[in-house]
Amino acid sequence: MNFLRKIFEETGKLVEEGKPLSWAYPVWEAADTIFFSTNKQTTKGPHIRDNMDIKRTMFFVVIALIPCYIFGAYNIGYLNASAMEIDRGLIGNTIFGLTYVIPILIATFVAGAICELTFAIIRKHEVNEGFLVSCALIPLTMPPDVPLWQVIIGTSFGIIIGKEIFGGVGTNIFNPALTSRAFMYFAFPTKISGDKVWAIGPDGYSGATALAIPANPSQYDTASNLFAANTQFDFSMMNMFWGLIPGSIGETNKLLILLGAFFLIYCGIASWRIMVSSVLGLVFTALLLNLLNYFTIDGILQAGGSPNAMLTISPLQHILIGSFLFGTVFMATEPVTSSHTNTGRWIYGFLIGVLTVIIRSINPAYPEGVFLAILIMNMFAPLIDYYVVQANIKMRLARNV
Amino acid sequence: MQKITIKKGHNINISGIASREFSNAPAQKFVSISPQDFNYVKPKLLVKEGDQVTIGDALFFDKNNPDVKWPSIASGTISNIVYGERRAVLDIVIKIDHDKEKNIESSNQVNLSSKDDVKNLIQKNNLWPFITQRPFNKVVNPSDNPKCIVVSLADSSPLANDLSFSLSEKKDYIISALSNLRKLTDGQLYVAIRGDNFSFLSDYNFINLIQVEGPHPSGNVGVILNKVNPLNQNDIVWTVQGCHLPVLGKLFSKGILDFSLNICIGGPAVEPSYFKSRIGARFDLHKDSLLKENVRIITGNVLTGKQIDIDGFLGFYHSSFSVIEESFNRPFIGWLHPGGKTKYSVFNAYLGSNKKSFDFTTLQNGSNRAFVPVDAWERVFPMDIYINALARSVEANDIDEMEQLGIYECDEEDVALCSFVCPSKSDVGAIIRKGLDTIYLDK
Repeated sequence: MNFLRKIFEETGKLVEEGKPLSWAYPVWEAADTIFFSTNKQTTKGPHIRDNMDIKRTMFFVVIALIPCYIFGAYNIGYLNASAMEIDRGLIGNTIFGLTYVIPILIATFVAGAICELTFAIIRKHEVNEGFLVSCALIPLTMPPDVPLWQVIIGTSFGIIIGKEIFGGVGTNIFNPALTSRAFMYFAFPTKISGDKVWAIGPDGYSGATALAIPANPSQYDTASNLFAANTQFDFSMMNMFWGLIPGSIGETNKLLILLGAFFLIYCGIASWRIMVSSVLGLVFTALLLNLLNYFTIDGILQAGGSPNAMLTISPLQHILIGSFLFGTVFMATEPVTSSHTNTGRWIYGFLIGVLTVIIRSINPAYPEGVFLAILIMNMFAPLIDYYVVQANIKMRLARNV
Repeated sequence: MQKITIKKGHNINISGIASREFSNAPAQKFVSISPQDFNYVKPKLLVKEGDQVTIGDALFFDKNNPDVKWPSIASGTISNIVYGERRAVLDIVIKIDHDKEKNIESSNQVNLSSKDDVKNLIQKNNLWPFITQRPFNKVVNPSDNPKCIVVSLADSSPLANDLSFSLSEKKDYIISALSNLRKLTDGQLYVAIRGDNFSFLSDYNFINLIQVEGPHPSGNVGVILNKVNPLNQNDIVWTVQGCHLPVLGKLFSKGILDFSLNICIGGPAVEPSYFKSRIGARFDLHKDSLLKENVRIITGNVLTGKQIDIDGFLGFYHSSFSVIEESFNRPFIGWLHPGGKTKYSVFNAYLGSNKKSFDFTTLQNGSNRAFVPVDAWERVFPMDIYINALARSVEANDIDEMEQLGIYECDEEDVALCSFVCPSKSDVGAIIRKGLDTIYLDK
């Protein structure tokens, strides 16, 4: 330990102000404080500080994601084994999956670290640990078969355009991880959408996600019947909860996502208001659309209105299908890009739920509406805050008579 | 009696709380008054080194407001005037002449029937600095007409001087002080108390008694005002430190100046105790009670106090010293630490973290980072103010917005807990002060 300490102290002298290598100080500081907690002292009041810092805050989000990684790897192996009709066992499946997950993870972190460190040096700001969370989230939103060069480009885009050009963590408008996901969705649609990418099987093997089934039905029926008619995967509510279905790496197991949610709420890192209100928004809109479908089929609108199987998805199915929970728990709650006021958080979350269902059900081009809904609401979060704060200003003016 | 309950906040459970009994200490030899303790004051000295002064003599006045003069808090000799950068006066040190002080203790009859009588008596004895105002937390302008007067006897800050103990023998003076302060305003006189302490005040109907409950900062003047009578733009509210009531009370009732003060010393790196001392007392009398080699001595509380040397002096508005250890410890991968008794956090971020009596040190426990709004400030800030939006308006230098968002209601001490809990280690107090300074200098 002393040896390591000595290395840092020696190298620290090289990056001091005025030395030729002083541009590397942010990088040195980041590495130094990763290995040894900073001994930075308070200078004036408050003379004492809480033991929580940004490193730990961000690291806790990464901890909450680890179970999703492990299950994601297992699920890749499991779906592959079913497609190949072989039995590899629990550990075999996980190892098979890890051979897909780990390269994506490494590609993301290398690309993310290069972007973050470069900008830290150019802009002379400290390396913010927030990029660890962005980089930990990106692989979980990817299909297992995604080409690594696309991951590298997508991550760089997310970190640079989503964050650094706005001034880095704390001043960014869009969630960097979702910016990556959106960029890749529109830049490389063949590798990140459709029904070929979600499960790894023999050549030409196709495995549609649950959302694709009611979105592209061969004939009109309710979503539940369409799920039941699908013989390839078990799309029962129970199985969608446990996550043995095709999908992005981290989104499928809802139990682990909920555990992550409880962990983050318990630690006081993520906002429970956003999580609860987005579920409320989703349930509200899903019920509304269920009602609309009732009218189009059995009511007066039947002749003119075209039946849409997506309208028959029940609120609970909406929650379990796709990455709604993953997005709500880990993406929507990103503190910088969400609303900064508690009232605003309720509105922001509710509208994410509403938009998710609308994009999913009304617009068949984008079966997965969550990431678009969150990005749209990221854009509106400052506006929501503006009106919440204006209400406070009006209250204060009214008091001043 | 009005009751207010504060929910948002946090009582920092720091170790080293003094028990409620006085320890003996040798008589104080030196006291000091520092112009740096007063915001926006440009001091013009009226004394020089070697001058003889009597208690209450004017030492300096404010160039911006020449009516306000600062009293000598002892009789004796000006032994030293300490200057800092750009000839800023840091300390006016007085060597106490105890014999001289005994001789002048003669009582004269005081008759205070009107507002002007009270004002004149305060003016004559140079006691205006004991009355401060919100907003800006500065010494009052005697010609102002305050909307109300607030006195907090419920200090909730960590290691605070427990006034229900240290003022226990001063009951008559407290009542005398309050009844005459009452005359200075046409509005209410609010006095905040906690629990059953100072319950004798409920017999006096000129006092609007407020019983506060809940964690720090519930005892802060700013928080109490926000709940009972919010400070609007252009309002001025006067306040007096609870510990200073006996000084005013003795003058109002007997005409005697007495700057004695029961002070409290606490903190993890010192033997905690109460002492009978006086305003501006020097710390070095108590240096034997230090428990650690490398300590930081703070005048005032650990949240808003000021670091002093071992021969430094108690700040004018302070009634306690706090002592914590200077730590340079660098644990290996400390941010991965599972928890235990060596960690203290408002977040549930450490397993079995110490929440009872924690030995805080001067470690910042993290590097400065860009601000990430994880709702940390809001959970310890009880006012109906969007503190995050307010801080941003200060950084944007937008005076209109600062006013609209209620900066006048805030003071550094009200947001000190926000800095304490902030994972990005921001200094919210400095931001608020910067905003107040911008507005004050703009006027």
